[in-house]
Amino acid sequence: MIRIMHILRELGKNIYRNPGTTFSALLSTTLLFLLFDFFWIAAGTSERFYQDLLSDLNMEVFVSEDVPDSSLTSMDTPSSLRSHIKSIEGVQSLTYISKEKAREQLSQLVGVDLLVGYDTNNPLPRSFVLTFTPDYLKTSKLAAIEKEILALKGVSQVFYSQNWLKKVEKTREIVLKLGMILGILIILTVLISSTNNMRLTARARAIGFQQMRLSGAGKLFLSFPFLIEGFLVGALSAGLGWLIIFYLRQKVVFTKIIIVFPPANDIIIFCILVAVLGSVSGYLGIRRLLKL
Amino acid sequence: MSTNTIIELNNLYLKSDRGEVVFKDLNFKLTAGQSAVIVGAAGSGKSLLVELLIGRRYPKSGSIELFGEIIKPGKKRLIKQMRRKIGGVGGLFKLVPSYSVAENILYPLVLAAERKKVRKEQLFKMLTEFSLLKQAGELPHNLTRVENTLVQLARATIANQPLIIIDELLAGLDQKTYQRIYDYLVKLSLSGRSMVILSSEKLTKELPNTDNYTIMNGALV
Repeated sequence: MIRIMHILRELGKNIYRNPGTTFSALLSTTLLFLLFDFFWIAAGTSERFYQDLLSDLNMEVFVSEDVPDSSLTSMDTPSSLRSHIKSIEGVQSLTYISKEKAREQLSQLVGVDLLVGYDTNNPLPRSFVLTFTPDYLKTSKLAAIEKEILALKGVSQVFYSQNWLKKVEKTREIVLKLGMILGILIILTVLISSTNNMRLTARARAIGFQQMRLSGAGKLFLSFPFLIEGFLVGALSAGLGWLIIFYLRQKVVFTKIIIVFPPANDIIIFCILVAVLGSVSGYLGIRRLLKL
Repeated sequence: MSTNTIIELNNLYLKSDRGEVVFKDLNFKLTAGQSAVIVGAAGSGKSLLVELLIGRRYPKSGSIELFGEIIKPGKKRLIKQMRRKIGGVGGLFKLVPSYSVAENILYPLVLAAERKKVRKEQLFKMLTEFSLLKQAGELPHNLTRVENTLVQLARATIANQPLIIIDELLAGLDQKTYQRIYDYLVKLSLSGRSMVILSSEKLTKELPNTDNYTIMNGALV
């Protein structure tokens, strides 16, 4: 108990003797984590935007003229083309577009019926419109599905926004990589600046540490006040960053973009991790001074 | 080695940082209740001997046993425990600049996790013994040299440390302070505490239960 009290008193002394250093450490790390939080939210929001875009993606499967209608509308016959396509892994839904439906859609699209006089000889092909489960909305998986469908007898052509998907995936990859690099840079900056702050605070007490070590004080015992200080600065700065974000959320209203905030659990885990990171920087800051 | 042996140095061989041989075949033994005055000229290796005794430096060959335990590099936990049994004054041992006199004196009891009541009693006893009551709240830089020495002595003995290492403590002191410290050392010696007193000149008065040694040609004679 007395040792715990001693550690807490040392912690209080550290902060009392160097309020400027503690405050500047808190301020600089808060600002860095605020930047980190903004990017986290931006990454979540763009991911949501990406998922929304993908959910609209579908594949059109055009059917040859020689396939009987019964093979396209019936699900009861296992050998029907409809059954074959529906059974492909990743296909979520399948909608049949008959010649009449295709004509109707074309009329709606262009505003005029272009096929007047073709009532008995509609040239538009019959097709299926497929949607996919979210984990299959990837270039590689859709390409495999396309290949599988094209191999089916009776399929004349398959169409989906392949190039658009590639571009979207590429953009997402760049955003993710950039986010990861930025995140690592911010964490490194926090670690280095916190370590240096601790080192500056502790350096003035190097002789004192040496004497304490000679009296038999352990490294952990001497480091503890700095570990706790690092933990508190880390937890406070991460928490303050989120408080600022939530304050801004109340004040600024976005109407066109849905801002995606990380789940509360993730934020709590993040704050704990940052606090641990603060402790690590506290230890790194004092480590060299404890060698004896 | 008998259980009441405090220090046993066997065939120590040590070179200084500059590569000069400081100790060659140094042997030394100190039993509980016994003290030793080791006299050596400047540069003879007195401070290096202190560093060996507190596990801050290790010999090239030979063995160091403290309180029945062999001190070797890497035995950090053991060295930490040994250091708590040693009170140091002078030389390497200084006061913690950011601690008050009272905090400095109390530090060994904090490490020993001693109860508050005991700490208070012991602190009061020490401050009274060394007439430091008025200086209890002062920081070391506000103390005179004599007061600084007395605080170190109080710190070195407050936790009843069985071994006290005193490095050049008595050099340059006025007669009154010398006598005061001498009387205290006599008291310690008679109470069964062991001391290793390192000095560049012989003590003017003999201490009870004390053997005298001189560092000569890298050995103790």
